[in-house]
Amino acid sequence: MSGSSETRVVLTAALHARPAGQVVQAATRFSSEIEISYGERTVSARGVLGVMALGATAGTTVVLRAIGDDAAEAVTALAAVLATATD
Amino acid sequence: MTRSVGIVLVSHSRELASGLRSLLLQVAADGVAVEAAGGTADGRLGTSYDLVVAAVKRADRGSGVVVLPDLGSSVLTARAVLADHPTPDVVLVDTPFVEGAVAAAVIAASGADLATVVAAAREAQHVRKF
Repeated sequence: MSGSSETRVVLTAALHARPAGQVVQAATRFSSEIEISYGERTVSARGVLGVMALGATAGTTVVLRAIGDDAAEAVTALAAVLATATD
Repeated sequence: MTRSVGIVLVSHSRELASGLRSLLLQVAADGVAVEAAGGTADGRLGTSYDLVVAAVKRADRGSGVVVLPDLGSSVLTARAVLADHPTPDVVLVDTPFVEGAVAAAVIAASGADLATVVAAAREAQHVRKF
């Protein structure tokens, strides 16, 4: 049974190297396809270079989207990582 | 806490390898073992089998090591070292030197296992700079 889930998250830290690494590491625990959108750009949450290349800064909003069996859990987990990330 | 995967940078230039190492330590501070094997043992341009062996040894904290060559004979030297010291825990990865190393270091710092760090380094093959 495949589902989809989406949420918006206000970043507590810019998606520089360390938060991006935490996000990607969290994404690897789920089977769903997970994307992060910032402005016009959308990247896979599994690719650290792509996530860093978004250039998302602290205080801005990103959109998390997941499609798959564990979509809701994946979005919840990644939102928690993004909402607590520190540089 | 598990020890992070180590990273070895193999380059023709001591300065290039050590400069990239400084960059990685900046972006992925948390105790990732990044070791440089650049230039020859006496500091000239070239690659050194012995420097690569020593760097792999220093980088190995028990969770595996990814070896990233810059180009050409760095690949050959790294291959020779791995052929003489075969272990599944030390993996040579074909990827852009800077991007691959940054991706590997960031993911290694987050505590990922060897396969995940190798995948992150390979991701750089497909990512455009802009």
